[in-house]
Amino acid sequence: MKIRTVNLTRSFRVGSSEITAVKAVNIEINEPKLVAIVGPSGSGKSTLLNLIGLNDYPTSGQIFIDEADASQLSGRERRRIRNTRMGFVFQTFNLFPTLNALENVELPMSLANKSQKEQQEKAMKLLETVGLTHRSSHRPKQLSMGEMQRVAIARALANQPEIIIADEPTGELDSKTAKEIITLLQNINQREKTTVVMATHDEKIIDAANLVYTMQDGKLSPDS
Amino acid sequence: MAIAATFVIAVGSTTMRYTTVIREMNILFNGQVTVVDKNSLVIQAIPVSGGMLPQESTVGRIGGIPGVGAVTPVLFITSIGSETLTQLVPVNFTMGIPIVDWELVLGPIRLKDNGHFPANDSSNEVVVGPSIADQYNWTAGTEIQVNGYALRVSGVFDTQMALLNRCLVMSLTLAQTVYNYPLSVNIIAVKPLQYMPQQNLTTAIKEKIDYVNALTETQRNDVVEPILDQMQTWTVGIEAVVFIISLILVMTVTVMSVSERRRDFATLDALGAPTSYVFKVVIIETFLIGVLGGVIGIAFGSLTAIVLASLYTSIPFALFFPSILQIVPPLYMLEMFAAIVGVCCLGGIIPAINAMRMRIAEVLRAEY
Repeated sequence: MKIRTVNLTRSFRVGSSEITAVKAVNIEINEPKLVAIVGPSGSGKSTLLNLIGLNDYPTSGQIFIDEADASQLSGRERRRIRNTRMGFVFQTFNLFPTLNALENVELPMSLANKSQKEQQEKAMKLLETVGLTHRSSHRPKQLSMGEMQRVAIARALANQPEIIIADEPTGELDSKTAKEIITLLQNINQREKTTVVMATHDEKIIDAANLVYTMQDGKLSPDS
Repeated sequence: MAIAATFVIAVGSTTMRYTTVIREMNILFNGQVTVVDKNSLVIQAIPVSGGMLPQESTVGRIGGIPGVGAVTPVLFITSIGSETLTQLVPVNFTMGIPIVDWELVLGPIRLKDNGHFPANDSSNEVVVGPSIADQYNWTAGTEIQVNGYALRVSGVFDTQMALLNRCLVMSLTLAQTVYNYPLSVNIIAVKPLQYMPQQNLTTAIKEKIDYVNALTETQRNDVVEPILDQMQTWTVGIEAVVFIISLILVMTVTVMSVSERRRDFATLDALGAPTSYVFKVVIIETFLIGVLGGVIGIAFGSLTAIVLASLYTSIPFALFFPSILQIVPPLYMLEMFAAIVGVCCLGGIIPAINAMRMRIAEVLRAEY
């Protein structure tokens, strides 16, 4: 999947003032790389990821997905792309508390109308990939934070996405667990040839990334 | 929801029971004019207060009016003997009817098992309603005491009719003896000949006999029907208010529940769930609340209706239990269940639309 942005801008109205979280960002992601976007809190990293992940609409500028203008896509097409071609990992994991680990991983496949058998087999395989086969029947609150993030990564991989968008994937984890998650994401990037775009403060992610961008006051620049 | 359903079922079925019994009072004298004492207070065909009529002279004078077919004197007593239990409403009745006229008044009615109708010359036989028979363990052949008179149950009615369920029926002469109203009656049923309109007949009767009041079937209905209609309107109104309150409660609770899980709904959107999927998730939740609330409410509501019936009639609770489906008819249960589930689903619509609009970008922005 090739993603390209042209003068991407996103502003919000807060009370009487307008805050521009993302200012005229131009970025192109077209190879399966591990991309890190770093910057202080409030610099616009998450907003940029939401725009790239088609979870938000720009105030101005454009996003091209495989050279198709995303602004021309209908809500249904955007959801289909998010479901089948993208995977999402959140800082707070965003697992469904009433579903067990296996069911959480099955969910994106269920939304893509895959057969029950296929969902189950694939979900078990993905839990095996993240080392959690033995925790498949556990609900999120029975899992450690590291385990929850592994389940979230397995869920992100459910429909074999071309890109994983991870917003502070190690933000809630201790350094040992964070390292394990980074290694897992590196392996996915290398083995599955999946692009991983991450917003992070974590030095270890920055070290592991192929490409590092810095976000400052909404402006993106390649890391020197 | 379960509490609301309990209330609706209990109030609705109790009112329905009352109105059914009152309406049944007129069925007995279907197609007939009824003659009562001028000062009687009449509910449907039944005089609940007022004086007695001298049987022989009144029947004789009515019989002489042109257009009169059959004339049936009836003694209607709102008790079975000297009852000591306190009852909010009369629930037991005695009817004394000349044995030859039973079919004319009661219709083609059957008896259970090995019972038989009293013989024309019977001086101590009575037929009893099934509910009374169950309560006192009476069967055909049982000897009973009413007002100090030894009577014998000759049969038990096989009927669903609420009035007859709680009735003792005997020959007119026997009733007059047992209740000490010699040669007196309080209702005279007059069947007009085919060419004679009921209205004309009542006018003729009132003109000829100044101490009676004669009522056509329509007049009898006209007295009570507006009251029954109003009772039903009030019941429907109360039910509607309860449903509206329930709707608001379900909506409020679901809006809160959706709001608490906004991250889940936003995550569903991020994962590419169609908006219809999110809508369905919320509606299915409220549907299940409705199903559960409906089942619990109908169960408790039916029990409450029986308890209420037992309280206001002083008939033991256990006796009502087998006839629960008569007190709360299955169709009414189904209607209420559908209404409860419908209200819950309706209450889920606005929260479901809210859930459909949740976006991960907005939720995360609000959280951080």
